[in-house]
Amino acid sequence: METAAARSRRDELSAILQQEVVSLDQLRSCCFHGVPDELGLRPLCWKLLLNYLPEKKSKWESALVQQRNLYRVWTEEFIISPGKQDLPEDAVDSSSRHDITCDDHPLNPNPQSTWSTYFKDNEVLVQIDKDARRLYPDMCFFQRSTEFPLRTAGSDDGTKMVAAEYLRRRIDQCVLKSNAIVKNRSGGWNISGGAKRATQYLNLSGTEEAHWEVVERMLFLYAKLNPGQSYVQGMNEIIGPLYFTFSTDKDKTYREHAEADTFFCFTNLMAEIRDRFIKHLDDSSSGIISSMNRLMGMLKEADEVLWKRLMELDVKPQYFSFRWLMVLLSQEFALPEVLHLWDALFSDAHRFDLLLDICVAMLILIRDQLLDGDFAATMKLLQNYPISDVDQILCKAVQLRRRVLDNLEQLPEHPLELTP
Amino acid sequence: MLVLVIGDFHIPFRSSGLPAQFKKLLVPGKIQHILCTGNLCTKETLDYLRSIAGDVHVVRGDFDEGYTFPEQKVVTVGQFRIGLCHGHQVVPWGDGESLGSLQRQLDVDVLITGHTHQFESFNRDGKLFLNPGSATGSWTGLKTEPAPSFALLDIQSTNIVIYIYQLLGDEVKVEREEFRKPA
Repeated sequence: METAAARSRRDELSAILQQEVVSLDQLRSCCFHGVPDELGLRPLCWKLLLNYLPEKKSKWESALVQQRNLYRVWTEEFIISPGKQDLPEDAVDSSSRHDITCDDHPLNPNPQSTWSTYFKDNEVLVQIDKDARRLYPDMCFFQRSTEFPLRTAGSDDGTKMVAAEYLRRRIDQCVLKSNAIVKNRSGGWNISGGAKRATQYLNLSGTEEAHWEVVERMLFLYAKLNPGQSYVQGMNEIIGPLYFTFSTDKDKTYREHAEADTFFCFTNLMAEIRDRFIKHLDDSSSGIISSMNRLMGMLKEADEVLWKRLMELDVKPQYFSFRWLMVLLSQEFALPEVLHLWDALFSDAHRFDLLLDICVAMLILIRDQLLDGDFAATMKLLQNYPISDVDQILCKAVQLRRRVLDNLEQLPEHPLELTP
Repeated sequence: MLVLVIGDFHIPFRSSGLPAQFKKLLVPGKIQHILCTGNLCTKETLDYLRSIAGDVHVVRGDFDEGYTFPEQKVVTVGQFRIGLCHGHQVVPWGDGESLGSLQRQLDVDVLITGHTHQFESFNRDGKLFLNPGSATGSWTGLKTEPAPSFALLDIQSTNIVIYIYQLLGDEVKVEREEFRKPA
């Protein structure tokens, strides 16, 4: 439905992005109702909203080059050549035998050694691998090979390999192809074929890498760079939509660097929500438990009957809102709706207060059904949220936000003073 | 890819078990594949190997009775074809010429044999010949007190890094060498 409002919003957005210095406030209020899909401006808007691109347009070029180079250096350092230093320095000829008892070797029991770190990282990598493989299983996008695989600068033997190959090899759980050779009674040799196990996944040739492998690499790098936090399930659901958006950019150069851009946007985003992913911060003010408590508090304020009903049924907030809050609702809707929803989330100046409003709105929109059902029906409803119209939910959320602000009488200078 | 090369245990007939120093090193979760030169002698030893890595390849030694291990095996790892044979069939035992003939017969880049209980690795005509020795250091007619040893291969695209683990006295000595596949 092409309405006049939608058209004017599109023009407004183009105008904002034309300026030499992009005004973030204007951009936020414009993007709140969704970045129009036709212009293909979403990747750019998100990069601005997530503070990856500076507001000054003249600085974009240098910022991008700098960050992308940094990413390249990191992949070299953490993925392509870890643990190559176990040869003594005075050893010139590597093919002759050297005593390395005091140096590092694969079975080194010292937990500080490079090889031990390597094996510890592999445990994280196995977990990331499992989750990255099943990212958005009903979409073929993540299984397809990427246009711009990350290539290594050319290894010592002159063969170019895609970087994904390094990670693939690290956690390859295959059974080696083997043939048993048996002499039969008449003295002839029999070569029997070994067991072949077909791989479950689409096999790409050595020079290709699938989109999920790119996601895997980014998550692994993130885990390496943030050892305190490492990898937690759910991060894959956050990076997925970001990567999808950036790697379907209409502009070819942006698409080519989607990986580095996604990585830094993801890092910026995680900086704001990382407390929810850290277990020992669960009870702190920014942790997941207090978020869920705030959510229930807001629901009580907005709709006490519904709140009471949920309490009566003993439907605890962690049964449903844990997932909602943790992965920013990316699991509740189909990807296009998620993108639309995230436009609004990222445009929120008090980032992710809006998320709670949206969750309350989602509950209130299905209040009649919730009031009718028993525990099982309620749980089923909440875990398969029935409404797919994100606009409806957003309108309700804005209404709620406005009511709260009215009550507090501090309406002015808030970015959400818009027509719903 | 890490491949453990180990064999000639002779447990319980000639040796009571794997040295404690080796057991401490061989923990699950590090090694993906095991190539065993045989003479495990009992099922317990095979089970032990399976606890270290999921993918275990064994050939039959002269004391593996009642098992269906093949005499010889060819395993492919990336660009490398690796032949595996216990070695009692190759006479004279451990002789370079005879092993070379087996290597040509199997058409492999790396030939792994055991039986002599003596660690050995040499490059002959661009092929790697590897003997991991005896993991328990059990006696043999050729040698009364060999040092317990095994090898670990880190197989990369065109080269293999060989880590040699030997128990000398009470200390594990680790050595490293590299084999490069001729272009």
